[in-house]
Amino acid sequence: MRVSLFVTCLADQLWPAAARGAVQVLRRMGCAVEFDERQTCCGQPAFNTGYRPEACALARRLIEIFESSDADAIVSPSGSCTAMLHHYEQLFEDPGWRARARAVAERTHELSAFLVNRLGVDDVGASFRGRLTWHDACHGLRDLKIKDEPRRLLRRVRGVELVELPPPGAETCCGFGGTFSVKYPEISVAILDEKVDAIDRAGVDAVVSGDASCLMQIGGRLSRRGSAVRALHLAEVLASTA
Amino acid sequence: MRSEDARREILSAIRENLKPRGIAPGSAVGSTGSADPGPATEGPQSPRKSFRAARGSKERGDVVSSFTERLAADGAQCTVVRGEAEAAGALAGILSGAGARRVVGSDAPLVQRLLRPLRDRFEMAALDRLSRDDLFACDVGVTTAQWGIAETGTLVLESARERSRLLSLVPPIHVALLSTRCICESLGDGLAHVRQADSHAITFITGPSRTSDIELTLVVGVHGPQTVHVLLLEDL
Amino acid sequence: MSFDRDARAALADGQLRGALRHATTLFGERRRAAIAEVPDWEGARDRARAIKDETLLHLDRYLEQFAANAERAGAQVHWARDAAQACDIIAGIAARRGARTVVKSKSMATEEIRLNAALAARGIAPVETDLGEYIVQLAGEEPSHIVVPAIHKTKGQIAALFAEKLGMEPSDDVAKLAAAARQALRRRFAEADLGVSGVNFAVAETGTILILENEGNARLTTSLPRTHVALMGIEKVIPRFADLEVFLRLLPRSGTGQALTAYQSLLTGTKRHPADEGPEEFHIVLLDNGRSRMLASPVTRQTLACIRCGACLNACPVYRQIGGHAYGSVYPGPIGAVLTPQLLGMGESAELPYASSLCGACRDVCPVKIDIPAVLLHLRAQAVARGGSTGTRALLERLAFASYAAVMARPRLFGWLMACARRLHIVPPLGAWTKWRDLRPLAPRSFRDEWRAGLRHEGGR
Repeated sequence: MRVSLFVTCLADQLWPAAARGAVQVLRRMGCAVEFDERQTCCGQPAFNTGYRPEACALARRLIEIFESSDADAIVSPSGSCTAMLHHYEQLFEDPGWRARARAVAERTHELSAFLVNRLGVDDVGASFRGRLTWHDACHGLRDLKIKDEPRRLLRRVRGVELVELPPPGAETCCGFGGTFSVKYPEISVAILDEKVDAIDRAGVDAVVSGDASCLMQIGGRLSRRGSAVRALHLAEVLASTA
Repeated sequence: MRSEDARREILSAIRENLKPRGIAPGSAVGSTGSADPGPATEGPQSPRKSFRAARGSKERGDVVSSFTERLAADGAQCTVVRGEAEAAGALAGILSGAGARRVVGSDAPLVQRLLRPLRDRFEMAALDRLSRDDLFACDVGVTTAQWGIAETGTLVLESARERSRLLSLVPPIHVALLSTRCICESLGDGLAHVRQADSHAITFITGPSRTSDIELTLVVGVHGPQTVHVLLLEDL
Repeated sequence: MSFDRDARAALADGQLRGALRHATTLFGERRRAAIAEVPDWEGARDRARAIKDETLLHLDRYLEQFAANAERAGAQVHWARDAAQACDIIAGIAARRGARTVVKSKSMATEEIRLNAALAARGIAPVETDLGEYIVQLAGEEPSHIVVPAIHKTKGQIAALFAEKLGMEPSDDVAKLAAAARQALRRRFAEADLGVSGVNFAVAETGTILILENEGNARLTTSLPRTHVALMGIEKVIPRFADLEVFLRLLPRSGTGQALTAYQSLLTGTKRHPADEGPEEFHIVLLDNGRSRMLASPVTRQTLACIRCGACLNACPVYRQIGGHAYGSVYPGPIGAVLTPQLLGMGESAELPYASSLCGACRDVCPVKIDIPAVLLHLRAQAVARGGSTGTRALLERLAFASYAAVMARPRLFGWLMACARRLHIVPPLGAWTKWRDLRPLAPRSFRDEWRAGLRHEGGR
């Protein structure tokens, strides 16, 4: 199985451990991984803020890049970027581009969904000592319906004790929302604090999620509040053999 | 602008805005059905059928017990009686138990029959001779209900069949006489049974009046009755 | 509109936030329990949405059918292009009928058109009879939630209000407070000569309007006075009487977690006989006020499917923190964020579509499956395309996205810029982030650096 990595600009520059971890896990599962260095950003920040022409231009670019690969699948360590790519079809009026967008989307999967639903595995041979809780990133949860997959994968990691986040719960937004986090920072942090309070109550070593954006938001507040709880990407835990 | 002008303008604005503008089909995220279904004569599959099919038809006894269970859950009282004599006794008991003094009965013949022997024990008022102030001073309104809905424990009152609109609303206690024969299963059944064209007012009543407007704390008995008592008459 | 400022004020109000947290959590739990009782909840949502879609695509026909049937049954139907016209019509009816005491049951549409102020200007002071609306009216405030308008007030505050306005002995007992309101309002009901109500659903097939409530004030408002005026947005119409079933199954469960509210009034025209109970005159006012514009695109059209249940408010992480007043209009929460800009125009309410993290919880709970995030994104795109907003912040944003687009189209430039930022330890001036959160620095080596340095080779590190 040949996989082309859709790294995402955020993971590439700010959370490379997530991308590296994804590569390692995929290889461990027997996939050959390629990475097309021409890729940059999927355009989600522009799209979410209302800059459609800019988003469309980046979408066309990314579609062309992935079309040029004959890998069996395109895999990304980000639910929101995968969801964005699945959304590309609706950005275009031209039927030709819509078809091209659809074709690329059909091959594109978020990491945990790819492992569990495409490769059919939940044990990726990982070990990690720690009490963990999972945060459902909104786009992965609601657009891609990813809910069971990461939990199944984490439960099979040797040494992991996985607990569900107390209310308001794993499914509640962390308050990031892209530019929302800086346009309305007080509201963003008010939402975030409820989540961080719950993480505190869970008594865990780390909170794990499938989206680096959520992890930046949650991790940034955890450290500001002096918490020892770490924020980890799913791929980091799955790649771990410690 | 006169109403007819506004009518013309609004309808015209609607038609204008509904004209297709060559927007890419499916460009709306989450819109259901990209094709215009065309002028509707037959609507989507009757929701009532689906609900009934999912739940399965109930036996008569089940329907009645569902109804009484929901009534209790909704905070209404319920007494089951057989025959008018028992009903009369139960009604008298309800009225004395509630410490009622002024009682108003609707124009339903059954109500009139049951209240007649109680004339010496309670102050009876006649609806059509009541001033508004007097109506507000009554303790109990007695009516029948045309239907009961088991799904929700609901009473259905039709204005074409009885003058029960105000008596089921203004006095703090409402007593409703309902035949078990008239209990149907679902909301859809209730809607199908009512003589919609004849009644200018059809009222669905589910329990006493209530509010949670203050700190989400439930208070029973706001503007409508505080107590709803259903006298359920088994097949007469 | 000052969403930003009002939101911050709300965040600083600890009591409000506690009340909102409690209310939204409780409604969420009750909703979940209530929908679990329905065998095919998803199917019901789909059917209701299909009915709404069908109706909106032929809204002119269904409105005409509704008006004809309502008139045939004795109602007088009026059409109002906008808020001012609707107020004129209602004030005109009140004048013609010699109405001095007017009672009102809960109607968001009447708040939208600012009816109370319009009537007050003509010497008529309508009394709100829904307990929550009565409270906010006495307090001179706006409602803060679609279903529980006074959720932002404590019983202590209400006790003080009632002591001042009703001369009531101050008491924290909620039942006593409700009883005081009941008593005060009963007098008004007894005297009222005109009642104004809203409409939850209007049935085209029969000319019937349906009003849902728990308190009984809408029944009193629509049955006691000689004249009843019902105001409805044009999107309230549904095709058939039988269609009411699916909406009755969805609305109460979504809004308050009840299987049904205490009362539904199905009103068709005027009394058939003089001795019947009810008003002599029944007027229905059909209100456009910007709704017809929303029909123009499928994305915006779904806004009109809303049945005003309030479920989206209770699910929204933003609403939960700031409550309804910050939205600066009659309609708060997620539906407010898309409805208000479309009714008032984006100039008036440009902030609202951005006041969301796009989490999608609202879409999950909407009984008619309105894709609110899609509408928000549409409005954001409109805001940017129109280029209406000036000011430094807006210009800086445009500059930022223009640069971003230019850089992201050029991977070598992107890589080089990131490498420079890395070497020079450049940190973007994101005070809005760093005031509350630590900012994760650029990783010492990016992924693509690692890839090139050896990760690309099979099994390599």
